[in-house]
Amino acid sequence: MSVRICNFPSHPSFLLQPRSQSQTAARSTRIFARTENESSRSDQQQLNLSVLRFTFGIPGLDESYLPRWIGYGFGSLILLNHFSASPPISESQLRSEALGLSLAAFSTALPYFGKFLKGTEVEKRSLPEEGEQVFVISSSIGDSLKEDLAWSTYVLLRNTSTVAVMISIQGELCVRGYWNCPGQMSKAQLHDWFKRKTDEIGLADVKETLYFPQYAGSGLSWDVLPDGTRSVFVQPLLRNVNESEKVDGFLMVASTAGYAYSDKDRAWIGAMADKFRG
Amino acid sequence: MEARFINQIQIPKNPNRRFTRPPHDFPRFIRASSSTSQEPKSYRGPKPSKNLVADFVSRNDDSVRSLPIYVGGASLLAVLFNRALSGIAPVADASSSQSRADLLALGLAVTNLLTGLVWLSIRPKTITPIEPEGVDCKVLEPNLPASIVSELLWAWESLKVATCCKSLVIVYNGICLIQIGMAAKSPEDKKAVVVNTDKLMNGSVYQGVMKSKAQSYLANLSLYPGRSELPFLPPNTQAVILQPLGDKGVAVIGGNTIRGFTSSDQAWISSVGEKLDATLGRCFVDSNESSQETDQ
Repeated sequence: MSVRICNFPSHPSFLLQPRSQSQTAARSTRIFARTENESSRSDQQQLNLSVLRFTFGIPGLDESYLPRWIGYGFGSLILLNHFSASPPISESQLRSEALGLSLAAFSTALPYFGKFLKGTEVEKRSLPEEGEQVFVISSSIGDSLKEDLAWSTYVLLRNTSTVAVMISIQGELCVRGYWNCPGQMSKAQLHDWFKRKTDEIGLADVKETLYFPQYAGSGLSWDVLPDGTRSVFVQPLLRNVNESEKVDGFLMVASTAGYAYSDKDRAWIGAMADKFRG
Repeated sequence: MEARFINQIQIPKNPNRRFTRPPHDFPRFIRASSSTSQEPKSYRGPKPSKNLVADFVSRNDDSVRSLPIYVGGASLLAVLFNRALSGIAPVADASSSQSRADLLALGLAVTNLLTGLVWLSIRPKTITPIEPEGVDCKVLEPNLPASIVSELLWAWESLKVATCCKSLVIVYNGICLIQIGMAAKSPEDKKAVVVNTDKLMNGSVYQGVMKSKAQSYLANLSLYPGRSELPFLPPNTQAVILQPLGDKGVAVIGGNTIRGFTSSDQAWISSVGEKLDATLGRCFVDSNESSQETDQ
């Protein structure tokens, strides 16, 4: 077990000295250049935390799930105690056990609730093991548009936890990242292949943004996405035509981390989509 | 003055494009598609379902944070009460199965209490945004090509929507290209203060940013002595990011919240800065070349 002082947003974990330290220890630090994707879920507030963090010192062990393990452990011990006790079991014991079991259930659910609180870290993305890394861009568009597409796909891959990005403008595609596509196809063939696939899914006229933070549980199965995709976000590209908005295409990003796109990420992705507006 | 500016769009292509991998069998995507129509189908897939728990927790952040404390505290009292009620002495030993059950329930209650305390301690400090004092302005350098204007306006719209930015000033090649958003009100004519590019470029703030070639984030502007070099920003601007655009210009982005720009915002702003530099650099090289030709 060890105690270390850390200066970045931390998981909810057991503190050594809960309240007294948190008020005095909040130093404001200069924000260092981002090295990993640490997007906080709070919109306008910057987290500047110095907390004493209690950790077992085992790398890879996530202490924020400790209530869940304790819930499982103690809950099973309560059941064991119940069944190993010789009858008659007194009513007060039954009451205690009922209380203990409901507490265990609540503790198990706590890390799930904690995930939605402000100030928790977003999971890091992991690169998919299978799937090809591709960069396909349609050849029948102008150079400045090509440059814009190349830059926005690059920036989306770099600044968010995206592993796969696809932008479609009036049928012309730019695809970058890890996708589940066949290898050994020429660029033009790959472009047509992706176009066929997205036409089948039917994203060409999606009118509102779609955000699937838990892709696996949503009933979707878009084969083009790489294995291990857990969040998908689709943003339509609109064009103002005589006071009405027509859908020009879409921008799709996928990530291997769950709940990967916070409000701020989605706002920036919307800003990227606006670049291709009309 | 000849300015040879080599167009450097550094967008590294993926170095590991692996098309030489032997094809795996992906039986899943060999779908016999019988549709031969050229029209793309409209989207009939599932819409994302609303996650009630997530919405509830995000909306009632404060009360959810203290919920485990109340649950833990109430259960602690309930265990003691139960013991008192059934006439058993509150002795913490593991002799009888009643005591064991009680102890386990107590352990769980303490877990909940501690988790609640942890959640409370990592609550981010809410900082209220402060309305900037000044006038709304939109000043663009005349005679700019339309593509540049749309790019600058796009940058302003993205910053306005996605961050706490309220003012934007871009100075490039010694010219103030755009001053948009809230600006300080000049006392003489009640209009926006004009950006004095010479004063800005000779000031220490600009020189420092140019020398370090890195973004400078002044999270709490009131603490910063160089504040006087940015007179065109509203006087109560809370945070400022100075993003160098290559080595020829700077973007001054003013926000309305102390430490209002997150690290994600900073990364996005530096990417947007690189893009603006590429676009502006190309435009100014072209105009330099054409002015050279007319001179000769």
